[in-house]
Amino acid sequence: MTPPAERDVKTMGRPPADPVLSLSGLTRRYGTLTAVDDVSLHLATGARHAVIGPNGAGKTTLLNLIAGTARPDEGAITLAGRDITRRAPARRSRLGIARSFQQPSAIRELTVLENVMLATWRHHPLRPGAWRRPKRLRQLAATASGQLEAVGLADVVHQPAGALSHGQRRLLDLAAALAARPSVLLLDEPAAGLTDRDVVRLLRVLDDISDDVAVLLVEHHTDLVAEFADTVTVLMAGRVLVSGPTREALSHPEVRDAYLDPVATAADAPASDSDRKG
Amino acid sequence: MDVLDAQLVPAVDGVAYGLLLFVVAAGLSLAFGTAGVLNLAHGTLYAVGAYVGAELSDGTWGGLAIGLVAGTAAACAAGAVLAAATAPLTRRGHLDQALLTFGLSLIGGNLLIDLFGADERPVRIPAQLDTSVSLLGHRYPAYRLCFIAMAVVLAAVGTWVLTRTRAGAAVRAAADDPQMLAASGISPRLVHTGMLAAAGALAGAAGVLGAPIIGPGPGTAENVLMLSLVVIVLGGLRSLWATLAAAIGVGEVQTLGVSVAPDWAPYLLFAAMAAVLVLRSRAGVLAAPGGHGADGGEPPKDPAAWLRRRVTAVVARGRSAAVRAPGPAARAARRAAPLGALLAVLVALPWFADAYSLSLAGYALALGLLAVSVTVLTGYAGLPTLGQTAPFAVGAYTTALMADAGWTVGPVQAIAAAAAAAVFSALTGPAVIRTRGTTVLMVTLAVGELTGTAIGQWKSVTGGTDGLAGFPLSRPLWGSGELLEEGDLYLYALVVAGCAVALTLLLLRSTAGKLLTGTRGAEERMQASGHPVSRYLLLAHIGAGALAGVGGALMVTVQQYVSPADVGFEIAALALLAAVIGGTTSVVGAMLGAGLIVYTRDWVAGSWPGHGPLLLGALFVAAVYLLPRGLAGLARRPPDHGEQRGAAAERVAPPEKARAEQGVTS
Amino acid sequence: MLRVSGLTAGYHGGTVLHALDLTVPAGTVHAVVGHNGAGKTTLVHAIAGLLRPTAGGVFVDGQQVTGRPTHHIARAGVGLVPQGRRVFAHLTVAEHLRLAHRPPRRPRSGTAWTPDRVLELLPRLGERLGHRGGDLSGGEQQMLALARALLGTPRVLLLDEPTEGLAPVLVGQIRKLIVALADDGIAVLLVSPSPGLAAACARTITVLTSGRVTDRLDGAAARANPAQLHEALALAPAAKA
Repeated sequence: MTPPAERDVKTMGRPPADPVLSLSGLTRRYGTLTAVDDVSLHLATGARHAVIGPNGAGKTTLLNLIAGTARPDEGAITLAGRDITRRAPARRSRLGIARSFQQPSAIRELTVLENVMLATWRHHPLRPGAWRRPKRLRQLAATASGQLEAVGLADVVHQPAGALSHGQRRLLDLAAALAARPSVLLLDEPAAGLTDRDVVRLLRVLDDISDDVAVLLVEHHTDLVAEFADTVTVLMAGRVLVSGPTREALSHPEVRDAYLDPVATAADAPASDSDRKG
Repeated sequence: MDVLDAQLVPAVDGVAYGLLLFVVAAGLSLAFGTAGVLNLAHGTLYAVGAYVGAELSDGTWGGLAIGLVAGTAAACAAGAVLAAATAPLTRRGHLDQALLTFGLSLIGGNLLIDLFGADERPVRIPAQLDTSVSLLGHRYPAYRLCFIAMAVVLAAVGTWVLTRTRAGAAVRAAADDPQMLAASGISPRLVHTGMLAAAGALAGAAGVLGAPIIGPGPGTAENVLMLSLVVIVLGGLRSLWATLAAAIGVGEVQTLGVSVAPDWAPYLLFAAMAAVLVLRSRAGVLAAPGGHGADGGEPPKDPAAWLRRRVTAVVARGRSAAVRAPGPAARAARRAAPLGALLAVLVALPWFADAYSLSLAGYALALGLLAVSVTVLTGYAGLPTLGQTAPFAVGAYTTALMADAGWTVGPVQAIAAAAAAAVFSALTGPAVIRTRGTTVLMVTLAVGELTGTAIGQWKSVTGGTDGLAGFPLSRPLWGSGELLEEGDLYLYALVVAGCAVALTLLLLRSTAGKLLTGTRGAEERMQASGHPVSRYLLLAHIGAGALAGVGGALMVTVQQYVSPADVGFEIAALALLAAVIGGTTSVVGAMLGAGLIVYTRDWVAGSWPGHGPLLLGALFVAAVYLLPRGLAGLARRPPDHGEQRGAAAERVAPPEKARAEQGVTS
Repeated sequence: MLRVSGLTAGYHGGTVLHALDLTVPAGTVHAVVGHNGAGKTTLVHAIAGLLRPTAGGVFVDGQQVTGRPTHHIARAGVGLVPQGRRVFAHLTVAEHLRLAHRPPRRPRSGTAWTPDRVLELLPRLGERLGHRGGDLSGGEQQMLALARALLGTPRVLLLDEPTEGLAPVLVGQIRKLIVALADDGIAVLLVSPSPGLAAACARTITVLTSGRVTDRLDGAAARANPAQLHEALALAPAAKA
């Protein structure tokens, strides 16, 4: 028997009227393993969408497919009505897709500011010759330091990026992604390895992201997902298990069974809650 | 049908040749993939086996058996020595290890010549095998067939050990993550030693058995190394079957190819490799071995470290005051000061140096440009290269041919050389920039070696091994006189090199340098920020090629002679050593390193005639052990372990992420 | 079983860990919590010998192992489950088990771990024997890293962020495993950024801030009153400033 509520949730993945990012029937195989299996997803401008699922469900592969570091075997990706399925990652970035990394890498030899300036470089309207002319250079630097301030790295702007801690490097990665003024932002487990206090700070940064950016968040931290995302897609073995509004999707019986162990969440939940208050 | 029939014998020969290469290349590939050592002395291990085998084989079965045991044991011991020598460097990147093994191969080659003489050695095989058998109506040497059987057994045993035993699993685990192997209670040092000793034994056995196919002689080591490298580059790493297929392919090119198309044979190997590299660069990346960024690990006991620390401490003491407070102005002054001083000395040189020293200095400038081009690729673009001698050669031969045709204006020659070298680099670039880390060393080495071989064999244009000489001298400008005097030649070279270096510095200090640094340090991030990193790397490769081309032009102008030896493997290694001595990210350091090397080499060659390679090898070894960060490293703070880890580097990157650490001693 | 006294360690001249003391009796779980950059992983590396401490001592069952090579320390009975799991990407699960299986030279208290016993504890790995480490999912890799450490029959088990990046359902499983292993007599040192996991299974909790111990709590008390642990974590940076 299928309760009507469940069917409702499953059909919530209806394409919005004018999606900025559309994935249709994406499939990616690695040998015998199908990492992403016929996934369709549509993001409207300003969407706050999360993708969750157990390890190996294909979440990161999905991000890589959208960012262009992996190519789909089947399916198509369109950005603002334009087919980008075969575009190189750098080209996609210039078209408006930005991403953060699970294992962020920074340019250690350069300062934090220079790192972000390089990230804006290809996106800034003043690009031609900007690095050479002091005035334009200052404008570029101002944009970059504004972005760093927004993620809370204002006091390490002139330090070499190699001296940052793991958490700071994540924020730098996020600043670099945001500095490109994307229309679609892909976040790959931004909270992994962060303490609860850092997660709260991260959430504040994410909340400040402009409304014209569609955000796709891949995350394990269910509290963060519940707090941040309006809609959720649950992946399981590369397939979409459920897609719909966050609360319904997370409380969906299949999801609870497969993904959220009631015992584990019960043990961890009070901890995270009390932390957030403090 | 007749044609096919007539080619049967060379075809079977090709199989034997290919199997021989497979056994040798498998050892090289294993040492590279698992111990992380690009063992440039691997050919020498083969030569050890071949010499010992040839010495002990007296045409009896007993002789062959004794030769086999002794040759295998000798090469095995040599492999263990290599392991002991490279073990202290495991945390220092592959570049240093490659240079060290090259130094050891020079020393080993010289010792082999001392022991066995400089002539090719005849090899005697047991009489029962020294006959021919009938094969599908053709007479065929029995030894080759027997060799095929033995090589198959060797290969099968090696494969079985690697894939089916615990020791083999340990070897592969060491390739993935040596620290975790240690944390499982197995000594990575032991695995490293066992691995190189086993690879040595395999090469030695191949040397003894293969002596009748590739016999012992002064050129054996380099020839075998080059062919093995080609096999590995073609076959990729990780898959033994692909290596086998590549080995047989190369064997067939070397035998069947020569038989079918003798005119084209010299270029067949080059063409085959170019084709495969291009195909592969489309299909995907040459599988790079797991990184060996042994970050944050326990510093190995390094006998050289102590000595090095002493040296550095003495130098650092004098400098510590300047190092402390680097204000922006002071920093700029500190940067410019050595450059200014160097320039002053260089300009003044003709007034106090004799003609011979001046011509050496001119050559040093040419080699310096080559070293700078290596620095640009290795230190900035993160592509450690052993193949810049290829564009260097293109530039050199372009200049010589232009002069021969009457184009004698120096700057025109230099610009044409740069253009030709740039075009060449643009063609080879796509294959190089697809790979990363140490695999680049291997691909570039193969490109350089094959270019050298092709030049040696294209007699009608390049003069073959005799080289080109007797072409008109260059003029510095239109209408001016020829550059006859050493002093004038030197000053001309100084001006050209100065312009090239200044232009390079200008580019590297501009955005271009930052973009390259970014690509090297955080390629994924750069790509995700919209930077077309492949284009940057290709441009860097082309630019570095042009620079090397100018270096080649200068060398020809200064020497008024060019031969394949001037653009060979040894020069490639010297240029890389100069870059490493210079600190791999310092352009001026590379020039200084080149000067140091040219003078040391000259002094060394004169001090003990006949043992130049030995002393040069010792120079390599000493430089690698004593100057871990090059001359630039001496000027900075004393070296410390653990590279540039952040102060709060809580997290240790998984080994495959540690690309930045590979090959770049930043 | 594991005793650390005055342990000081760091990277390239900088000190990350300052004179740290802690003991882990056999059969108990000792958790170390702290923010990123507090020196947790440095502590684990210094104990396991991946990093040579600059001062202080590490004792396993009273035996001094400070500064010995990593594989000696492993043979002395220290098992490591590292951050990021770090399984051998190109080895199959079966090869991992065979490689890591190392019966102790002298019989120790408790039964030695064999591949069969490990597979009994972690049945999921049994289904994946022919798969390479790199092809496993994150949770399976974590199981494999644990199996690899157990097969040396360790007396001390170092777990560095064993739940990082794992789905909540797996976190619960790992927690149960940790408790079961401690019950088996192993001294477990658990490093975790998540106070929830630490409170759920540790007898003692050490709070690490900027490389120094800033608080030490009783696990049972922390379970009863989670706020206490959070206060210790939250207050720690303020104390520094």
